Amino acid sequence: MNQLKDFFDSERQKFFAPDAFFTQRVMSRLSERSREGIIEEFGIWEALRSSTRPVLAFALVLILCFIGIAFFVPQLPQSGMVESFLAPEQNPAESFLYNDTEVPSRPVLLEQLIALEEQE
Amino acid sequence: MEFDRELIVRAQGGDRSAHEAIVNQFSAMVFRLISRFFRMREDVEDIAQDVFLKVFARIDQVHPDENFPGWLARVTVNTCYDELRKTRRRKEAMETYGPELVAEQTVAPREPDSLGKARLALQRLDPKLRIPLVLKEVEDMSVEEIAKTMGLTQTNVKVRLFRARKKLQTMLGGTEGHSQ
Repeated sequence: MNQLKDFFDSERQKFFAPDAFFTQRVMSRLSERSREGIIEEFGIWEALRSSTRPVLAFALVLILCFIGIAFFVPQLPQSGMVESFLAPEQNPAESFLYNDTEVPSRPVLLEQLIALEEQE
Repeated sequence: MEFDRELIVRAQGGDRSAHEAIVNQFSAMVFRLISRFFRMREDVEDIAQDVFLKVFARIDQVHPDENFPGWLARVTVNTCYDELRKTRRRKEAMETYGPELVAEQTVAPREPDSLGKARLALQRLDPKLRIPLVLKEVEDMSVEEIAKTMGLTQTNVKVRLFRARKKLQTMLGGTEGHSQ
């Protein structure tokens, strides 16, 4: 587009140049800062463009929330989702089959099963 | 641009004359870059001062063998970007609460009508599209240089350039349509 081309061509010629005292002004501001002891800390946060900071902050909060939830929720539940759903319907005999319980020694197991049959 | 790496080492050691030499050597470049985005001399001067203060505060991060002018250009462009965003937010607030003042500020003085329209269209562009376009068209930077200066990928720069041109054409087409 010619209009834009002309505009960009005209823009090339237009710029400001520093005046003779610019350096002095910068130096006086610099010494003023060091006199007042203004020491700016520049870490990772400052290296980021200010527009990206809220996004990163939000992401960090989400990560921290996730870690917090993962910390408080037990990683190995006592019973799984299926077991806890079926639990009320299971009788003690079935629980031997479905649940990952520690199997007692053979004579004890036999005694337990006989006791259950007697109850029924 | 020829640059003395010893100057960086001295500046890192807190040598005042080295700081002064850096400002003397690079102030013209910094002024020229900022002038691409701001039209008021006072704004350009203030931002240039901020750029040099930032540079001296971070001078320890520069490796003497690194491309110092490139790093300085990056700090300058990032400062302009932040400032443009602030200005844009202020402008939006002004457009809501004080339209007369905004109209007064955005008029381009003593310019042919077509150039004034192009300037206004460019000023309305989002800084993230405006900066790469100006660096490409006015500063004649390559896509690679823009990518390095803005900390973007080359593909990202190309996409932004395409969007900026398309948006400008739409805006100018729109204004031309209105004027007819």
